[in-house]
Amino acid sequence: MVTRSPLYHRSQVDKLSPEELERYDRQLRLLGFDVESQLKLKRSRVLIVGVGGLGSAAALYLASAGIGFLRIIDDGYVELSNLNRQILYNTGDLGRRKVEVAAKRLRELNPEIEVEALGERLTEENVKQILSDVDLAVDCLDNFRARFILNDACVELGKPLIHGAIYGAEGRLMTIIPGRGPCLRCLIPREPAEHDKIPVLGPLPGVIGALEALEAIKVITGLGEPAVGKLIIIDGMDLSFYRIEVRRNPGCPACGKIKIEGI
Amino acid sequence: MRIIVKAFATLREIFGGTGILYLELPEGSTIKDLLEKLREQYGSNLDVSGFVDENPSVKILVNGREITYLDGLGTRLRDGDSVAFIPPVAGG
Repeated sequence: MVTRSPLYHRSQVDKLSPEELERYDRQLRLLGFDVESQLKLKRSRVLIVGVGGLGSAAALYLASAGIGFLRIIDDGYVELSNLNRQILYNTGDLGRRKVEVAAKRLRELNPEIEVEALGERLTEENVKQILSDVDLAVDCLDNFRARFILNDACVELGKPLIHGAIYGAEGRLMTIIPGRGPCLRCLIPREPAEHDKIPVLGPLPGVIGALEALEAIKVITGLGEPAVGKLIIIDGMDLSFYRIEVRRNPGCPACGKIKIEGI
Repeated sequence: MRIIVKAFATLREIFGGTGILYLELPEGSTIKDLLEKLREQYGSNLDVSGFVDENPSVKILVNGREITYLDGLGTRLRDGDSVAFIPPVAGG
């Protein structure tokens, strides 16, 4: 079942209410972040693909930051084995459709925003339609296959994509802006084998999901320097952080033909 | 000379334990030599998709620098160097 909240009117978004000014007070105090930055967030439309471990953290932070429209897509139901890391859900939610629980939780967190819940799987058939009216996508998926479907559609439609992934106590993060830096296929030229039921320590998807939200906020507002062409690798076991350069692959089947912006 | 090898994610499980190995290699050895030694030790388990080819999905770092920006598989190792093998991961 698909839950849709009332239609969101972008045209009305030219000011913040006193409640919004208070709600976002702490981020409005940030150097380089002003009311216009907040309005950019309010006008923005973001797709979160997957509301598991990564998606829980990313969605909570993007909702609380005031992204005006969040579309979440996931075909899963809450299972007991999700609860070590998927912080959108409570034990009482077992068996319920994830996107419905998530949408309710996010609307309660921030009634100023619109949340649209799609209880389906992202496929080659539906991906372009689901992406067509958003400004940016956040990859909170749990498999390579769907990630490449999302990557290819984002590249084709020119939508920024925040890539995050985890394994065990490790995380990866890279921001993809088609034409400005490498895409997922430049980073991972060959689709690796898929693994079912991988090990995960709960805080890792929390850390990476939160960083994905940070990157989305930066791309939307123009704040700071997003990790375009930089793969962030975190090893939670010894808290080592690596940031390695990733270059565009001129022969990339997804983005190889896109011209480089501004050069 | 002694080289420290640090394996990530699925490779860590192949190497076992903490995923950290200390290997003795002859002076002047390269990444390619190291890979051959690892293959001898861990056999076909290491031939996971994209471990080493012309366009690897597994990132190889020497002291935190990716070998693509050094001398690739010909990168010479020195005593005490730390080599990291970082495969892509897909969990969410």
